[in-house]
Amino acid sequence: MKTKFSVRDFSLLLSLVAVWAFFAVTSPQYLSARNLSALSVELAITATLALGMLLVILPGHIDLSVGSGVGLVGGIAAVLVFNHGWPAPLAFLPAIAVALLVWLAQGALIVRQRIPAFIITLGGLLILKGVFWLVIDTHTVPVAPGGRPNLFSLLTTYYLPPLASYVVIAIVMAALVAVTLRARARRAAMGFEVDDPELAFLKLFLTGQGLLLFVLAVNQFRGIPLPVLALGLVALAIQVITRHTPFGRHLYAIGGNEEAAFVSGVPVQRVVIGAYVLLGGIVAITGLLQTAYAGAATTTVGDSMELDAIAACVIGGTSLRGGRGTVLGVIFGALIMASLLNGMTLLAVSPELKFIARGVVLTLAVWMDVKLARR
Amino acid sequence: MPALLEACAITKRFPGVTALREVSFDLQPGEIHALCGENGAGKSTLIKLLSGLHPHGSYEGELRLDGRPAAFRTIADAQRHGIAVIYQELALVPELSIAENLFLGCEPRRGALIDWEKLYTDARGVLASVGLDLSAETPVGRLGVGQQQLVEIAKALGKQTRILILDEPTAALAEREVDTLLELLRGLRAHGIACIYISHKLDEVFAVADRITVLRDGATISTHPTAATSKTGVIRDMVGREIQDLFPRVAHHPGEVLLRVDALRAAPSRDAAEQLHGISFEVRAGEVLGIGGLMGAGRTELLMHIFGAWGERRGGTVDLGGRPLPAGDPVGALARGLALVSEDRKRYGLVLERDIGFNLSLSSLGRLRRGLLVDEEAEVRANQRFFASLRVKAASLETVVGTLSGGNQQKVVIGKALMTEPRVVFLDEPTRGIDVGAKLEVYELVNRLTAEGKAVVLVSSELPELMGMSDRILMLHEGAVGGEFTRDAATPERLLAAAMGRTPAAA
Repeated sequence: MKTKFSVRDFSLLLSLVAVWAFFAVTSPQYLSARNLSALSVELAITATLALGMLLVILPGHIDLSVGSGVGLVGGIAAVLVFNHGWPAPLAFLPAIAVALLVWLAQGALIVRQRIPAFIITLGGLLILKGVFWLVIDTHTVPVAPGGRPNLFSLLTTYYLPPLASYVVIAIVMAALVAVTLRARARRAAMGFEVDDPELAFLKLFLTGQGLLLFVLAVNQFRGIPLPVLALGLVALAIQVITRHTPFGRHLYAIGGNEEAAFVSGVPVQRVVIGAYVLLGGIVAITGLLQTAYAGAATTTVGDSMELDAIAACVIGGTSLRGGRGTVLGVIFGALIMASLLNGMTLLAVSPELKFIARGVVLTLAVWMDVKLARR
Repeated sequence: MPALLEACAITKRFPGVTALREVSFDLQPGEIHALCGENGAGKSTLIKLLSGLHPHGSYEGELRLDGRPAAFRTIADAQRHGIAVIYQELALVPELSIAENLFLGCEPRRGALIDWEKLYTDARGVLASVGLDLSAETPVGRLGVGQQQLVEIAKALGKQTRILILDEPTAALAEREVDTLLELLRGLRAHGIACIYISHKLDEVFAVADRITVLRDGATISTHPTAATSKTGVIRDMVGREIQDLFPRVAHHPGEVLLRVDALRAAPSRDAAEQLHGISFEVRAGEVLGIGGLMGAGRTELLMHIFGAWGERRGGTVDLGGRPLPAGDPVGALARGLALVSEDRKRYGLVLERDIGFNLSLSSLGRLRRGLLVDEEAEVRANQRFFASLRVKAASLETVVGTLSGGNQQKVVIGKALMTEPRVVFLDEPTRGIDVGAKLEVYELVNRLTAEGKAVVLVSSELPELMGMSDRILMLHEGAVGGEFTRDAATPERLLAAAMGRTPAAA
């Protein structure tokens, strides 16, 4: 409903520009087409998972098990394809089904038995990790037998051709303009304040420029990577769910004041379980993408991805107590995390320093957010 | 001899309300002095002042201790002067032992470490002084409420207390425990410890107090030696006022029975003691049933339980519109046309960080739908209708609810309930903490609802409000019906007597 930019959104934008500027200066390849393309794939995977995390953080819960889940889903699919010779699309089905069931079970345990999500999903982190290693027998299981590309490996190696990429971006931009104009007209008709026309134009203009720059850059390499399209669809779905469905309103209401939501007739348990099941679906998507990106299911796939997802949410202004957070914020948060990681990898920063830098950025972002929120 | 503690012409104002008006009160050494008054008479405000919770400077008038002016800035300040308050909600840590609780925050030390030996030795002495025959190592959580209360008192005595203030100390106690407590207070009196005793239970007051002071509407009405007054006299002083015609009540024409509650029994949780004991009543279309009772009588629990948001059913039935209403299902209750406006709007009513529109439509989203999505145009139309008809004073529907005044927040909660198009509306203390103008609007709204043929159940602590707005009044006493009155038969004395569990004839 609301599309106002707040100081917070600007602070995210500024942090992002600062990160990019730093790496652009220190590492010449950072802004190369090839690297930007890789960065966009990494962003897409992190952001997709973070958007799923948003669904359970909004009602005030958390999920530590998504990283292990990502590994497990990819592992099941890889084993079915590589060891058992299943066609990739068929192998996806049981992997996705397992994720949905596991998250249904976790959600049900959390709300029905009233065990804190932190505990249940901490257990899930360990159990799913163990099951994952059992499934792949702690071996490396490639996603494509004999290196022949299949649908699994194509998940992160397919690129929308440049021409199609331009068309897609043009359609997205046109849709954004149409939605913005329609929302403005409706808000005005209902007597709400609307943005100043110049400001509204500026926002659209900047968004358009961003999209254009992005497509120009990736087209110099191979075009829009498939994971970015997946992220686009997931983001659209989550945006619609959180903003325009009763279910989404209920997520915010439960996070804002669970007792009031309950007394207001919000089916609290069903909504929270629903959020976990949706997250399960997103874990499945992320698992397939991440494993495809790694090229094989190995014991480290998915490691600490839950932390990146939570960090992206928090950096993007999501409150861990629930009730506050937006899709756009989470995507920005993921973009900052992904840009940072990618840049440090290019600079060949040692893993230990990478951890420290990620921690510092997370802490700094939350501190800034708290400062701004108090004003 | 100067009074031990004296309050001289104390006036305490809150924004929009004067809670105490020139109240005077004195406590003599070695005296048990009872404070009586209806809910909201100013008893709690007075104790908060005496105990330093409302600091010196936030009120007008003077406190004197031993005849000298006293200025308590904090609770600790008052404690240093020997004043201790035992509140209804006990402030003990259940996981710690009795001894650890007794000396919490002032543990005896040897160097940097706690001197456990001394702590447990001292604890035994203190326990003996209140007649508690328990091991000092018992975790407090294993004690009953009565024993915990004694531990609280022991804790206060350990701090050289000269003045003990007890706020409704027996509300949760069984009869034997009450006797123990009263005996203890008499013993302390013999040792020169004075006590201010606040209770709704007149039997206790008359059993233990030396003098009784009655407060009403924030003013001192009377102070009598116990021997020179009677229960009837105290009740008359507590009620006292003429019911003014503040209430724009219109004649009602009750129709069919919409809600029938029969022998309802319920407890807070599976293994807790029963708190509602066989309550029966019915409400008809187009009428207002008032429910009154003292603090802790079970009014809020009754409404919340029928609505499905509190406790576990132990017996009895609820019929809504002629069909049974299952227990524990607020979603179902709302769908069947029962809406609840909670007494605690911040806790059970509002998502404070969201805007007015979000809160207004929260209970009605299932209805405001087009396919899977919220029909935002229909939603805004509905929101605007209630925003306007309830006259919520705010810039727009997008104003964050947390920034509104109490009265306007209350209107949002009521609007949310009414948007569900209920047939039966529960209003639990709908005028608590809101100003007079907003109160009048709530009363007018109640009239509008009954005119539309809805049934209203109004819970209120204020007798004038109950008598002014209700067709019938049900008084609860300790989780059971203490009496039911038609509008014409209700007098303040009878209602209060029923609330105190005394037969109307005796009042």
